[in-house]
Amino acid sequence: MISLMVALPLLFAFFLSLISTFKLDKKFAKPLFIAGSLIPWLFLLISLKSSPFYEIVGGWSREGGIEIGLNDYNLYFLLAELIVFSAAALYSLKYFTNNTGKVYALLLLMHAGLIGSFISKDFFNYYIYMEIASVSAFALVGISEEKHAKTAAFKYLIFSLLASYLFIFAIGIIYLKTGYLNAELIKENLIITKEIDIALVIAFISLILKAGIFPLYFWLPDAHAKAPNPISALLSGIVVKSPIYGMLLIHETFSVNANLMMLLRIIAFASVFFGIVLMILQRNVKRLLAYSTVSQMGYILLSLSINSTLGVIYYSFAHSLFKSGLFLSAGALIDSQKSKNLKKLTYRGEPLLMVSILGLSLAIGGISPFVGSYAKNIILKGLTDYWVYLFYIANVGTLTSFIKMNYYLAKPKEVKAKSRSLYKALSFIMMLLTLTFGIYFGAEIKLISDVLSIGIALILFVILKRFNVFEIELKPKFERSMKGIAEEINFYAGMFGIVFLIFLLLSFF
Amino acid sequence: MIDAEITGIILILIGLYGIITKSNLIKQILSLNILSIGVVLFFVGTGYVKGADIPIMPRAKVVDPLPATLMLTTLVVDVAITALALALILRIRGEEK
Repeated sequence: MISLMVALPLLFAFFLSLISTFKLDKKFAKPLFIAGSLIPWLFLLISLKSSPFYEIVGGWSREGGIEIGLNDYNLYFLLAELIVFSAAALYSLKYFTNNTGKVYALLLLMHAGLIGSFISKDFFNYYIYMEIASVSAFALVGISEEKHAKTAAFKYLIFSLLASYLFIFAIGIIYLKTGYLNAELIKENLIITKEIDIALVIAFISLILKAGIFPLYFWLPDAHAKAPNPISALLSGIVVKSPIYGMLLIHETFSVNANLMMLLRIIAFASVFFGIVLMILQRNVKRLLAYSTVSQMGYILLSLSINSTLGVIYYSFAHSLFKSGLFLSAGALIDSQKSKNLKKLTYRGEPLLMVSILGLSLAIGGISPFVGSYAKNIILKGLTDYWVYLFYIANVGTLTSFIKMNYYLAKPKEVKAKSRSLYKALSFIMMLLTLTFGIYFGAEIKLISDVLSIGIALILFVILKRFNVFEIELKPKFERSMKGIAEEINFYAGMFGIVFLIFLLLSFF
Repeated sequence: MIDAEITGIILILIGLYGIITKSNLIKQILSLNILSIGVVLFFVGTGYVKGADIPIMPRAKVVDPLPATLMLTTLVVDVAITALALALILRIRGEEK
């Protein structure tokens, strides 16, 4: 039954590409697209009653079939996918004007791919669906009309594929050693050997590259910032969560060795702080949000590295909601004011967007009772000694960078056009959802620590402003020509190789 | 004797080397293809059983057919990706002019 959640969007994607071939886009594209994107809700609601459950597609034995299922691990991933995708789908109805049939077909492919990867309990099946989602993501970044969007898509393609191939190589090693691809069967028959340890390191490093976590983040800011607005929301909101689900699947199947976990914790913190520093230096609002994703993915990896499965699930869910909300509301401003520069954008005169952006910024900063604070609390409970202080510092840093964003957006500027009401409504709904889920989960109200962290963040913001940190201009490292792109890819692929070697060496000594 | 798995790993490393050193976008895509062929060879190699026959029944001892069938999917992905990447290179070229 639950497999239909994947099959129907795929079917509708097929119809959409068919009607776009016959040039019937205007008549049928929108209803088909909306049907394809909303139908999975129905199946989720039906199967929610019998959760948790597993099924083998086609009724084969577990050894011979593909296992899928719905349980506490993937329920929130699925829910986040459906919420974010529905919001982005409604947003795209107005956003894309030409070639709608093809764009919608790609979007539905991504939808099917993401749902498929989130319900699978089988490593190869997971890889295939993650691949479907990323392939449509490359194409969707590439359709952006912005300058250098194709370059961004190309870089994304190369690195994402590099990651996929290495991941499938790791699965190959696991298959060679255990004889199974099914997570449950591997777990039952597992004997940890050196080869499996190496396979796990390769799998983790490739998923880190795919999730855009520092030091392997280099494709992410360009791709997420240059994509069309609703696509950015999807990419940052949910596409990067698909590798996270893979990590969770691996973490639940194998007992990962302690050295690797420590290494993951270190790069998680590095990612958190690196993202914050670069966020403070950005002027392009979409790039700022993209770097924020690098930083927030660090939190999720951190939660994984301290064996806090709940933290991974809830933080991924929370991040999906507020990041896609932020991208959608920033997109609404960008769409009407025709600029991405923080110094030219403003939300003055758009009260609904102002409330949404402020609310979402508080949510990302972990202020109660938004959903972010609940997720952060779970992670915080798993941390000990000096890591806790690092976590608090990171939280203040996130707040500072979002205070900076809101400071620029709150300045009154000349505004020519109002944003579309659909965009405003969607942003507001996303904000309300972060609040509702926070209250639903039962986030504790921590007035003192919230006021304290906002206060410290404000002081930090004033100091940074005083020293003109926000005026620092970042120069691109590589020139924007064919040769420059190739050099950039060479450089980062080399860096990937080095990080890969370091990981392999450090995990064993 | 060198077996399919080792050859696969060597091809993966050659592909990675190509992406790190080649300064031509098309050559980088070709390197990625070599890498993927390495993965395919490695995977197919995992199904090999010494002295076994082709997996068409009835036979006493057969090789594992699963890896080979799985790799068909990867090969299809490769073709699609190569086409997409080449199209993107064309567009990048067009943007530059």
